[in-house]
Amino acid sequence: MKIVIALWRLVVGRVIKLLRPARRRLGWAALLPLVAALYLTIWGAHAGTIVFVVIALAAALAIPVIAADLLPLALIYLGLHWLVYALVHGSSRTSFLPDAVVFRPVAWVLGSTQVVIKSPAAAQSSVSIIHPVPVPVPVGTLPPAFYYAKGLSAAYTTTAGQSGQWTVLAGFEVAAGVVLLLFGGWLVPRTIGMHTRIMRRNRELSRRVSTLTATRVEAIDTASAELRRVERDLHDGAQARLLAVGMSLRAMERLIRSDPEAAISLVTEARENSARALADLRGLVRGINPPVLVERGLGDAIEALALDTPIPATLDIDLDGRAPAPVESAVYFAVAEVLANAVKHADAHTVHIRAIHTPAEEGQGILRVEVTDDGSGGADPANGTGLTGVERRLGTFDGILAVSSPPGGPTIVVIEVPCALSSPKISSC
Amino acid sequence: MRVVIAEDLFLLREGLSSLLRQHGFEVSEAVDNGPDLLEALTKHQPDVAIVDVRLPPTHTDEGLRAALAARRRTPGLPILILSAHVEQLYARELLADQAGGVGYLLKDRVFTDEQFTDALYTVARGGTVMDPEVVAKLLAKRPSQMTRLTEREREVLALMAEGRSNSAIAQRLFITDKAVSKHCTSIFAKLDLPPDEDDNRRVLAVLAYLNS
Repeated sequence: MKIVIALWRLVVGRVIKLLRPARRRLGWAALLPLVAALYLTIWGAHAGTIVFVVIALAAALAIPVIAADLLPLALIYLGLHWLVYALVHGSSRTSFLPDAVVFRPVAWVLGSTQVVIKSPAAAQSSVSIIHPVPVPVPVGTLPPAFYYAKGLSAAYTTTAGQSGQWTVLAGFEVAAGVVLLLFGGWLVPRTIGMHTRIMRRNRELSRRVSTLTATRVEAIDTASAELRRVERDLHDGAQARLLAVGMSLRAMERLIRSDPEAAISLVTEARENSARALADLRGLVRGINPPVLVERGLGDAIEALALDTPIPATLDIDLDGRAPAPVESAVYFAVAEVLANAVKHADAHTVHIRAIHTPAEEGQGILRVEVTDDGSGGADPANGTGLTGVERRLGTFDGILAVSSPPGGPTIVVIEVPCALSSPKISSC
Repeated sequence: MRVVIAEDLFLLREGLSSLLRQHGFEVSEAVDNGPDLLEALTKHQPDVAIVDVRLPPTHTDEGLRAALAARRRTPGLPILILSAHVEQLYARELLADQAGGVGYLLKDRVFTDEQFTDALYTVARGGTVMDPEVVAKLLAKRPSQMTRLTEREREVLALMAEGRSNSAIAQRLFITDKAVSKHCTSIFAKLDLPPDEDDNRRVLAVLAYLNS
């Protein structure tokens, strides 16, 4: 017995689990075909209908997208089936309306003990023996308006001994058919819309995956190239100079008594080398993480860049807060590269930089920097490795770099990165 | 001369203190963060303060902001900013109040102690000292107002911005003191600076130079 209960639980659990994805998408509507299938199976509908519904249900459970498409079709099919059947054959009690649904309540309401069914096809197709109902009900209390036109008729005998004829009509089938048709028709555009949305989303997702794969590889490449550069710069610069300082100090140690003059010149050399090591390190730090950027954020860092640019620059900066550090850094180096190009290649006389963050209702908003110069134009991001690198770095954050540079200028470079700004600048003074 | 030092690196703070004591300065207090600096400045009212740009607790430009705040409270409070890097942006902010008595130097300049103590005296006197690196960056630009100056006048102005006196400039450029003051008069005239106390005009000239 326990085994049977356990098996039953297992089966029910499985079924519920199977139904879950369909239910999540369509709500309880996904269960309609199941209900229809059960109903038809029990009351002996056409085998075709059952097969159709079962296949539809199975497919729906396996692939929710198909459920979305099949459900309205199944409903329309059933609706048509019922309508046609009801209209052609009058009614089809044996197919669709069990005694318990129609005749028992009728008998109960009428207080009859016996209901005899007559169909137009057969004079007397079936007989239902109804148990006596205690409450006597007057004849004709059922609203006849609901049941109309052709159909079956039931002869009854009430407990009081009255007998009469009551016609059961195809109203249920007709009504159900119309409702199913309407519901199915209403669902079609919605489920097709859903299917299209799912397909579109799938395409978007696969595009996104390939973009992410590409930018990830690029980001890793860029990062490791950067690390190699830092390592090389440290090795050839500061490290070598500190080594020289150490050697000078060692030589000085030997000479300080015997040849103080020479020792003094070594001290000077050591001091100069340590100063150069510092300058090297300073340059390196500026290349990795510019101090103003760390201390003040993107707005001031762009201002500092503009100040360091040898041509006059006008600024229009409206950034109320700080972007995430990696984004700030990527945008900063992008602007630096663009400014350097304006000076070096475009021979510009003035440059205008505009930086603005547009918050979005939903999501992060967009950080946008425009650099416009009055240079000779003709810049092509495909030609310069500098801009390609910048584009790649921005790509890691889904940022873009757009260049408009007709021959003769002006050149407009737009940098856009989706990001949110953190709390506004701290101002303690 | 009383000095307040704000530097978060222990080695550098101690090094600076002992260097200054050797040169006859009196170190009133050596602090290692922004809030303490503001407090020390108010308490000691030093002749000059040496402040690192980057200080705890934020490790951003805490020192610079504290210095600017203190100068708003006490205009002209002499402050020499020391930093591992120099930025024109910060130089401009330091000079914006036009009160004089500011300096902005790379930490490396501490190596040559005479130059460093000279700078301290200049700032304490109300002069302006800018790091040669800031000045060099400024020289890279050829702004309109500056085009009126001759090459020699620009050299004089650059040295003035570094906080050098007329005689130091004369020594450096191998010309006479008289020639230097002639150049200065010419620079002030070309930059439309009205006759005024010499120190203030020097500050204004440097400012014009920095803001151009």
